[in-house]
Amino acid sequence: MSLNFLLIEDDEIERLKFARVLQKNGYTHNLIEKENGEEALKFLESKEQLPDIIFLDLNMPKMNGLEFLKLLKSNSSLKYTPVVILSTSNNHNDLKESYEIGIAGYIVKPLKYDDYAHKIKCLVEYWSVNEFIKT
Amino acid sequence: MSEELDILKRALKREKAARKQAEQILEGKSRELYDLTQELKQLNEQLEDGLTKKTSELQGVFDNLVDAYVLMDISGNVVKMNNSAKNLFGYDIDQEKLNIVTLIYKEDYQYAMTSFQELVTKGSFSDYQARVYTKDKGVRTVHINASLIRNKNNQPVAAQGIVRDITYELEQNRVFDEQKKQLSVIVENSSLGIALTQFGKILQTNKAFQNFLGYTKEELIQKEVKDISLKEEYALSSENMEKMNNGKIDHFSVNKRYVRSDGSNVWAKTNVAAVRNPDKTIKYQVALIEDITDQLESEKQRDLLVKNLEKMNLELSEYAHVVSHDLKSPLRSIYALVNWIKEDYSSAFDKTGLGHLSMIERTLEKMETLINDILSYSRAGNKENLESQQIDLNTLISDIKNVVLIPDNTEVYCKQKLPVINGDKTRIQQVFQNLIGNAVMYMDKEKGQIEIDYSDQNTHYQFKIKDNGPGIKEQYHTKIFKMFESVGNHKNSTGIGLAIVKKIVELYEGKIWLESSPEKGTTFYFTLKK
Repeated sequence: MSLNFLLIEDDEIERLKFARVLQKNGYTHNLIEKENGEEALKFLESKEQLPDIIFLDLNMPKMNGLEFLKLLKSNSSLKYTPVVILSTSNNHNDLKESYEIGIAGYIVKPLKYDDYAHKIKCLVEYWSVNEFIKT
Repeated sequence: MSEELDILKRALKREKAARKQAEQILEGKSRELYDLTQELKQLNEQLEDGLTKKTSELQGVFDNLVDAYVLMDISGNVVKMNNSAKNLFGYDIDQEKLNIVTLIYKEDYQYAMTSFQELVTKGSFSDYQARVYTKDKGVRTVHINASLIRNKNNQPVAAQGIVRDITYELEQNRVFDEQKKQLSVIVENSSLGIALTQFGKILQTNKAFQNFLGYTKEELIQKEVKDISLKEEYALSSENMEKMNNGKIDHFSVNKRYVRSDGSNVWAKTNVAAVRNPDKTIKYQVALIEDITDQLESEKQRDLLVKNLEKMNLELSEYAHVVSHDLKSPLRSIYALVNWIKEDYSSAFDKTGLGHLSMIERTLEKMETLINDILSYSRAGNKENLESQQIDLNTLISDIKNVVLIPDNTEVYCKQKLPVINGDKTRIQQVFQNLIGNAVMYMDKEKGQIEIDYSDQNTHYQFKIKDNGPGIKEQYHTKIFKMFESVGNHKNSTGIGLAIVKKIVELYEGKIWLESSPEKGTTFYFTLKK
């Protein structure tokens, strides 16, 4: 089964990294990329293509990850979409606030690419065996 | 003849009758006399009885008189003294002779003689107060009332005196006066304003109080408390006064403003305490006032400073957080790109080229460590997220042994069972982990030994981490706790680890120091407040 991923990430190389992991592992999931929360929200509201799961960076210009998360969780039709945070920060406050608003996971991006590839692989494998609410 | 006889007979008869009558009278008189004698005898007996009784009563009073009683003849020889007198002077006239002059204190001799003159001329003196010697050469101060005793012919034969020992009383008075003087010196020179009030009226004030309000002592006595209080604040004080009057409280403290003589207001902390009569009603109120204008001003400034500092600290901590995040992202990108070059174009590089790529990776790793250390340094001192929980240090150490890579030839052990302490687990772990980690990292001996020990020091725990490593030169002993001051030359050393340790130790009001020599290795000591 092929899933729809929405990756919200302002850094181009980060987006490349994620895509490369999918590609190198031969995953057939569909990846949609948005550069910040505002753009992502616009896309979601257009209901063009609803993602099964959202991968969200925290530090982004314009609308940051937490702001986006709050808006998403207050939207009655979008709030069921699981969100996994991808961040370089393991700051206690960031973690606490994220879980408080409601996230399905929190991944700290490691320095080494191999470690990163491993984590993303596990993540994708895990969500591939999950059930989702279809709206 | 018969006529003569008759006459004689009649005469005889008359005589007889008269005699009988006289006899009868005599008899009556003598009975009366007897009765009278009897009566007199009885009365006399009664009187004698009474006298003996009175005399013994008097003797009792005399003996038991609290004051000393002394009777002396006209040349000053004591002829009688009661028990109190014996106790007071230490002499017993039944055993030895005593002349009153022996008792006179040398310096009071003149005064004694003058008083004696007065006794002789006026017949008495009273309120004589002088010092006397006792038998054991003690000196007592006594008070004497004396009077002269005269015989039938109004000749002076003796003098009696009632003597009261007032030494103790005088000493008490002296002590009392001394204390009173001391107290008034304290009150008068106190930097606190002190006022004694009664029913809202000012009775007494000290210098500080007068200076504080700009009134003289005399002016203040004319005033009531409400005259020197602000109208709107007087209500607050009088509410407390009410409670005090009702016996609900004995003292209260308020910060209030006073009106000075020039009309200006001044802030003062006021403590009021009640002085009560035995029946619990208020006798006086004592008010202590302290000028807090400066204090309030500096408190205001301090609050502002603290607020600014807190804000700055928070900003700094956020700043470190944001900066470190922003620095970390490009590191990840570079690392990924280097990795991809290696993966996708490995054939295009020779050994040296690949070596250079690896060096880029190692540099990136070092930079990552540096950023993480700076981040944890800025977090370590931040009290905002400081948690307090029970930490079993034995568990903590075994956790650390799993995290820190300990080579087989190095042994990390506790000399005794470590205590359970209260603190923030992350931070306490950081302290132990950094110190143990350093000891492991720099270990240069074939058989490395790292020993952990502690001692209980009442308010603090003192910990000790001892290694048999290379030791640290004394000139570096303070330097190593500063930021970026790495003494060792290890590839993973950023020079922040010990700075973090010091910051955390200081957060727990502790100290850190070390003893080290190249032969024995290094022992780090640190204390943590319980």
